[in-house]
Order: sequence, then C-alpha cells, then structure tokens
Amino acid sequence: MKREHSHRETSSVKVDSSSMTANKEEAGGFDELLVVLGYKVRSSDMADVAHKLEQLEMVLDDGISHLSDDTVHYNPSDLSGWVDSLLFDLNPTCDQVKPDQDSEYELSAIPGSAAYPPGKRTRTGSDSPTTTTTTRSMVVLDSQETGVRLVHALLACAEAVQQNNLKLADVLVKHVGLLASSQAGAMRKVATYFAEGLARRIYRIYPHDDVGLSSFSDTLQIHFYESCPYLKFAHFTANQAILESFATAEKVHVIDLGLNQGLQWPALIQALALRPGGPPDFRLTGIGSSLTGQSIQEVGWKLGQLANAVGVNFEFKSIVLNSLSDLKPEMLEIRTGSESIAVNSVFELHRLLAHPGSIDNILFTIKSIKPDIITVVEQEADHNGSVFLDRFTESLHYYSSLFDSLEGPPSQDRVMSELYLGRQILNLVACEGEDRVERHETLVQWRNRFSMGGFKPVNIGSYAYKQASMLLALYAGADGYKVEEHEGCLLLGWQTRPLIATSAWRLNRVG
Amino acid sequence: MTMTMAGGNEVNLSECKRIVPLNTWVLISNFKLAYTLLRRPDGSFNRHLAEFLDRKVPANSFPVDGVFSFDHVDTSASTNLLTRIYLPAPLDPSRYGTVDLTEPLSTTEIVPVLVFFHGGSFTHSSANSAIYDTFCRRLVTICGVVVVSVDYRRSPEHRYPCAYDDGWSALKWVKSRIWLQSGKDSNVYVYLAGDSSGGNIVHHVAVRATNEGVKVLGNILLHPMFGGVVRTQSEMRLDGKYFVTIQDRDWYWRAYLPEGEDRDHPACNPFGPRGQTLEGVNFPKSLVVVAGLDLVQDWQLAYVDGLKKTGHHVNLLYLKQATIGFYFLPNNDHFHCLMDELKKFVHSIEECSRSTSSPTLLSL
Repeated sequence: MKREHSHRETSSVKVDSSSMTANKEEAGGFDELLVVLGYKVRSSDMADVAHKLEQLEMVLDDGISHLSDDTVHYNPSDLSGWVDSLLFDLNPTCDQVKPDQDSEYELSAIPGSAAYPPGKRTRTGSDSPTTTTTTRSMVVLDSQETGVRLVHALLACAEAVQQNNLKLADVLVKHVGLLASSQAGAMRKVATYFAEGLARRIYRIYPHDDVGLSSFSDTLQIHFYESCPYLKFAHFTANQAILESFATAEKVHVIDLGLNQGLQWPALIQALALRPGGPPDFRLTGIGSSLTGQSIQEVGWKLGQLANAVGVNFEFKSIVLNSLSDLKPEMLEIRTGSESIAVNSVFELHRLLAHPGSIDNILFTIKSIKPDIITVVEQEADHNGSVFLDRFTESLHYYSSLFDSLEGPPSQDRVMSELYLGRQILNLVACEGEDRVERHETLVQWRNRFSMGGFKPVNIGSYAYKQASMLLALYAGADGYKVEEHEGCLLLGWQTRPLIATSAWRLNRVG
Repeated sequence: MTMTMAGGNEVNLSECKRIVPLNTWVLISNFKLAYTLLRRPDGSFNRHLAEFLDRKVPANSFPVDGVFSFDHVDTSASTNLLTRIYLPAPLDPSRYGTVDLTEPLSTTEIVPVLVFFHGGSFTHSSANSAIYDTFCRRLVTICGVVVVSVDYRRSPEHRYPCAYDDGWSALKWVKSRIWLQSGKDSNVYVYLAGDSSGGNIVHHVAVRATNEGVKVLGNILLHPMFGGVVRTQSEMRLDGKYFVTIQDRDWYWRAYLPEGEDRDHPACNPFGPRGQTLEGVNFPKSLVVVAGLDLVQDWQLAYVDGLKKTGHHVNLLYLKQATIGFYFLPNNDHFHCLMDELKKFVHSIEECSRSTSSPTLLSL
C-alpha cells in the first residue's frame, strides 16, 4: 500500500475558482497524489503528458483512427509510456519520436513495442523508492465470521511460541484442535494444518526434508495443476512472455530451473509449431534434484515425442543438482550468438533464500549467460520476515484464501492439492534455518532484488492478460479468480487477494 | 450532437485545463481516453482491457495514515457480493493487522457507517479501484465515519436492476453486522453515499429501504447520474467541454437500462414522466452535491426540486467551478468544502426531518 502524505499539504488557501496548486514532488520526482492512485508521472513530465493526451484526443475525435481490440497495451501505471505508445500506434507516420526499442537483437518484426517497453525508461535500477510499508490483505467470508475465535486461538498459540512459552503454547494448541473440529470447509483444513505446524514446532517433531520425497512432491504438484488454475496461469503467462521474446528467433533455448514433470512445455512447443514463418529449433535444459534424475530424462523423452509429432526440432538436456546455487554457466553449454535464451523459474527461487548467498549465485549465473528473457513466478506473500509471529499471521491469511479458492465438490485432485499446500504450511511454520525453504517474498521484494542484481523489467501486456483471463473462465468455473496488472507484471488472486505473481526480466544494459 | 471542428476542440481543451490543477486534468483526461477505447459503437464493452487498465489496490489490515481495510464476501446471496470495509486504526498498536468481528464499534458513541457506491457510470471501476480506495480512506479520516464500499455488478454484463439489488443486499448485510453497531442502543447507523452512478444507486436503494422499513439516516449523492429523454440546457451548453459528452452519457444509459428502454425509465429519471412520487413517504434527508461544470446538472437540480416539492429535507451543495471528479485529488478547495459538508451531514444530531425548510444552497 503506497504511503500517502497529509492531505492538507497540497491544498490551496486561495478562495478563487482556479485553485491550482504546485504539484508536490516526492523522491524520484513522481507526482505524489497520482502515485497513490496507481499512476507514476514525473512532475517534470506532467505538461508533456497533458499535451500528448490532447493530441490523442484530437486523433480520436477525427474518427478516422481507432485502435483495434487487438492493440496490445503495456504498464498503464507508466502513463507517459502508455500515451507515447498509443500515439505511435495511432499515428506512425507523424514526426514524433519512435518509442525506444533499446534492443541489440533483430526483433524488428515485432509489431508495436512488444516485449520492450517504449518511452523514456533510461534510468536503471528501481524507479520507485523501496516501500517498507507492511501490508496484509484479508478477505473474510461470512462463514468465517463464526471462525474468528479459532483464528484468535491460533494467533495466541503462535504468540506463545514466539515468546518461547511452550507450556502455554501446548495448552493453546490443544484448544485450537478442539475449536477446529467444530468448523467446516476451508477454515477447518487450514486451521488443522497450522495447528499441526505449531504442534511440531512445540514438540520438535520436524517434518522430513522435502528432497527425500521429491517424486511424491511431483505427483502432488500434478494434482495441484489439475485441480486449480494457479500453475496453469503461471505456465501460461510465463510462456506468453517467452514467446514474445522469441518472436523471430531461429534457434531458442529454454532453461527451466525446476523441470518437475515438464507440464509447462507442451503448450510452448505447440505454440512454437504454429508460429507464422515456422517453428524455431527448440532446445530445453531441464534442472532437477538428485533423486529425480531418472524421471527428468523420461520427461525430456516425452516432450521430444510431442515435439516430433508437431514438427519442431527438439533437443533436451538434463542437469541434476542438489541446489540451484550449484548451477554454473558452463553446465548450460550456451551456444553464444546463435540462440535466443529464456530462463524460467516457477516457485523455485524462494527456496534459495534459505541459504545465504545462494540467490546471488544463481542470479550471477543467469546474468553471465545473457538470456533474452527471464520469467519468474512466485507466491505473492511475505512469508520470510524475521519474526515468527508475523510469518505465521501472514501465511494464515494467505493459505486461507488459497484453500477458500479450492472449495468445491470433493475430488482426489483436490485432496492431493490440499496436501501439497499443507506440506508448504508445515515447512513454513515448523521448520527453521536451511530446512525452512518456503520463504515466499512479494513482487515488490523480488523487484528490488532483480533491480539491484542488474536486471530490468520486461512488461507483460494486455494480450497475455486477456488470454489468461479467458483461460481462467474456461478452467476455473468459479468467478472468484481475478487477474490483475501491476506495473508490467500479472497477478492471479482469489477475490481481491493476489496470490501468485508472474514477472519477466532482462539484463540491464548500462553503458 | 456533432463534434465541433478541431479549432473548437482546442479552445475547449485549454479552457478545461485552466480550470483544474494539471495533475487532475491529466488523471481525468486519462480516464476519458481509456474509456473511449473501451466503449464499442455496438454497445458492447471491452471488459478485459478495462480490468487490465484499472489500477487496483489490495486491502490492508495494517493502518496507513490511520485507516485500515479488509474485504468481505457475502456468500449467502446467489451472487457473491464483495465489500471493502474501512475502519479507523485501533488505539492499541498490538492489534494492527488483525480484524475483530465480535465487538461493536463502540458501546457509548454513535459511529456513522457510510455504505458507499463507487461511480463509473454503472460500467467502470470496482471497490478495489485505487481512486475509490483512496477516496474511501479519506472519508474515514476526514469525516470520522466507517465506510463499506460495495462492489456491485456492472453493465453491460449486468443491467438494471442488478446494481440496485446488490445495493439492497449490501444494506441489509451491513445492518445485520454486530461489528458495525455503535451507540448505547447497539444499532448500525447507516448513511448511503455514492458518486455518479453510485449516487443514482443511493436514491433507488433508499427508496427500497423506505418501502421495506429499513432505517437509513441520510443519502449523500455526489454529482449523481440521472437523465431523461429531453435534452436539457446544461447538457447542450456543456457537451464535450469538461471531460463528458452527451454521447458517452447516452452510451452508458443504453448499457445499463433494459434493452429497448429510453432515458425516461424511472431508473434514469426517477421524478420524470414514469417516475414514482415520494409524497408522504418517510424518505431520508439528502445531501446532493452538484458540480457546476457537469453537463448533467440540470437533471441533478431537478432531482433536488423533486425532493423539495414532496416535502423532503435536502441540502444542495452547488460547486460552481467544479468539474466531475474534483474529489479524486485533495488539491482544490472544492474537495475540502465537500468534506466539511459531508462531515456536518453525517454528524448532525437531528433525525430524518419532514419539515419543509428550504434547502441550504452553497456556492463556490
């Protein structure tokens, strides 16, 4: 939530009708009042943006130009950039400055500005000051109004654990168990998992390290994929960004930082097969952990079968690692200069935050292979704060929303999905140190990390947004799922609470 | 109504730019441009692009500038109705980030609850749109109220009477919440408020509340959206001059009203030829705010007259030099004037009055 300064600061004390005031500026030069409303316009650009809006108005009034429904829009928060791209799309012959393509590669065939944001984005690093405001987005169902006592009991128990008052915690966790049994639906399931997490923490019966059961994890993930749209959304939006980035490339190389069952790639292969002008040669490098070594090869083989069937040249390589931190550039056997590269990570990066330095290692490796695009999907939540009670409370609300979205007629997929999520909850609540791998962080936090790591955002546009929304309607049925656009990234949420975020990045070419 | 020539447009645009702060002009012009892209001539609406362009914010149970919020879904109705609730920060900082649904707002003082319907001509925006989230937060801080913002179903996907039905459901829901009660008598003290289409919804929900014996303490209509078949003087005089055109107004009525209906439908023209009289009915007192540069003002003033004629208490706040949307940014006198009037209105001690006192008229 953006911090808003005192309302009165910008008010005029004049009584006349044209009570205009100087636009108050904040660090970074953005008009503060517009920032609060979701628009980033530099005060110094305000007159220019106004002028362009007038120009656009003229063009639209003339009636001769009208943007088609197919026009792709990017990052509406960057008003200046949005207005520039509209002007360009409506009036490509006029003598205004063509939006800055800022690309070394031959991507001239991409209509409009595609993956590369137009406008005056010349500054590097984060455009906005790091926000340190804590936010907690809560959605309460009326059925949960009666479960309030249960939530209070859970929080009281977590607080006791926080204060290391284990005797009290023990009493409270049993009380929670009783209260939970009188609830129904999502509330009951979530409370049960969180209570189990607390109990394990109190009695020091920690859950097993996930790596030992990773084939089971993979199976659970498949059920999660089937029962709800989160993974489908993740794959779909990442693939859209990759496709745009690969638009005219002849050879493409995708590096998947967590291949699992390769569920993301059939759709990409099919989309590449249908590409106007024919498919590129497609090379996939799949990374997995040591205990899934054999099945990675099987996944690669199956994808190869599919690629053959649709006429796409396919090459596959597997890399087996204990940790992504161990990934070295030479392992990837990059064919410099002849292939377009995409690095893809779905729910993988947060695990590296459990070990100091690991995230920096992987970002360094990624940078050194100079990918055209990096697609990242992560849980949209702050579950990595230093205070246990805060993490507990945040995750309680997060998983409540997630479980709410799963409610429906019982099915095996759903039961297994709940178990898949339940294991995350147990790890989050009961584990510590390097064992606690479910260290989710928010888009704002990842943005800072990537900016400081030398990457800049690639905006995901309205085409991907529309397709994702339509996909949701097709698969999800329930109309509680919502897609939102935030400064070039897409978020999928339940009701008004964003739950996962897809972002795309490329190297910051400074100087 | 044909558009004027390019030269004429230039005069309009720069005049309009002189009258509002530059950042306000940019904000509202941006909406005007975006909305033009979304409305299709055949009456359909590009909803996907609309949702993509709309700047939304999540609720935040941690207070920001003294206000926190959370969302609630009422699953009891056939349509899941979402509302966003805004409350002043708890006095005890250890309670930040939590929501208590077991206690009333106060057992001693009366805390007015504003049931708020956002604008957008029945078609645009949501309760979690940044412009409305920000406005509701300011209402809490400045006017000392609790706000419940209703995410009603929008046209053209959901036409009349969906918005009114959702408004009514929300009112009933609000009235039944223990945690919205206040005062020694443990009631929920409700005012209805809304801008543009939200103001129109206020009227119709208030009518229903009156008919069904649900007590509403007052109505607040902020440049409410009304209309009729006849073209009024203000519509013709101000067409296209300050962000709004007759053409776009017509489009939105066509999208909201039942197919084939005209603008004398009582939803659009409540005191018109097909309207329903409020004579002898215990209708809540009203505060109607009219922007002097809004082309709809003749309809809004006719609404005020209509209330007056049937003996209902109405305050008119006429802001001569204000355009639509003046309240989105707190950078002008009209904003502060509005907030002052609102605060007085919701904290006045007198109950719904049936006196024929003349409406107070304020000009700025």
